[in-house]
Amino acid sequence: MKRVDYFLAYFLLAVIQILITNYFHLSYFITLSILPVMVLSIPIRYSTNIAMFIAFGTGLGVDLLADGVLGLNTLALVPIAFLRNTVISVVFGDEMFSRKEDFSIKRNGFTKVALAILFVQALFLIIYIAADGAGTRPFWFNFVRFLCSLIAGFLLSLPAVDALSPEGRS
Amino acid sequence: MPRERKVIPILISAAIFILMEIAALNMLSSRDSLQRFWIARGAHRIQGTLWGGTEGIKYYFILRKVNRDLAAENAALREDLIHYKAIVDDARLDTMKFGLKSARGFIYTPAEIEKISRNKQHNYIIINRGSEDGVLEKSGIVTGKGVVGIIDAVEKHHSYALSFMNHDISISARLGDNGAVGPLVWDGHSSNKAILREIPLQYKYEPGDTIYTSGYSSIFPPDIPLGTAGDSKIINGATNEIKVTLFQDFSTLRYVTVVSNTSQRELEALENK
Repeated sequence: MKRVDYFLAYFLLAVIQILITNYFHLSYFITLSILPVMVLSIPIRYSTNIAMFIAFGTGLGVDLLADGVLGLNTLALVPIAFLRNTVISVVFGDEMFSRKEDFSIKRNGFTKVALAILFVQALFLIIYIAADGAGTRPFWFNFVRFLCSLIAGFLLSLPAVDALSPEGRS
Repeated sequence: MPRERKVIPILISAAIFILMEIAALNMLSSRDSLQRFWIARGAHRIQGTLWGGTEGIKYYFILRKVNRDLAAENAALREDLIHYKAIVDDARLDTMKFGLKSARGFIYTPAEIEKISRNKQHNYIIINRGSEDGVLEKSGIVTGKGVVGIIDAVEKHHSYALSFMNHDISISARLGDNGAVGPLVWDGHSSNKAILREIPLQYKYEPGDTIYTSGYSSIFPPDIPLGTAGDSKIINGATNEIKVTLFQDFSTLRYVTVVSNTSQRELEALENK
């Protein structure tokens, strides 16, 4: 029952992401995305390979349904899935894997979750902005876009993490 | 075994990751020319780095062979250098030989001075050519710059000569192209000064005129330039004695040429009659 709840929440958040991408153009300097934190929140019981397939499917779905460049979200999202276990291990500790316990703000604290969100957001944005600009935009533009998007994405990711956490879904 | 169990899933994950990223890049490049150009540029850069890296590794592993080839080449070059040095030395001797005006009846043999004395009143020279090289007693020793001495004794491979820096030696010399002839002797002090004696007073000359061998002796061929005339003084009111600066400085002497007169014995026999 719990698993269905998770995928439902995941699906709804993906729909929200499509809506954000299509209708919430705040600025050229802001790229709003909750996709990285969605991939980070994939339950630990799923292996890296499965997480990568989920990330690939999610990115491709958003790319197809949203008004953007095809492959851009997919390209930036798969590395998050690939490094997901490493990030969790570094930020939350190896005991998460031995206990097969998913992270949440309530269990692991705001600081650790914020750190993990910032890490995956930063990685996602670096790839996304670089591929989107395709070497045509100046460094300062990309840097400002990165900083603004990181802050905005972090703020938006906090409720998303909560929605995907076991406590948030219960 | 547990290590293998860890490594294989990581490799599989890495392979899946790479395939997915390639698929994503392919989607990017198929829809947008800007991204296509960007990806192509990145791919070329990676290709260049990888190619350069593999070339570097390949080059590292063939360094041993390169070193071996270089050492062999070095040895061959060293051998060539020795060979060419010998040629240059021979050429130097030949230059001196051909720098002299050739004269009929004389044989020229290049030689190298092995020992020379300069600070005595009776100086000598030992050269590295002897009877087996065709050197005869009473042969002259010359250079392109003048007369050096006269062979006094000959061994198989070496010869002993009296240096021109010797009170016992005088050379028949001529003042100018067609001037008076007189004996040229060492001044007894310098390594490049001599005195031309017995020049009749009526013969006029200018300081700086060249002194040549006269050719009146059987030892030296004519017209070898010896030096230039300097100041003069009248001796006994009858002859001039002219100071000569020799072209050949004996302090820098090393390569010489032995001049052997082929008709010397015939001339001596004629004199004895």
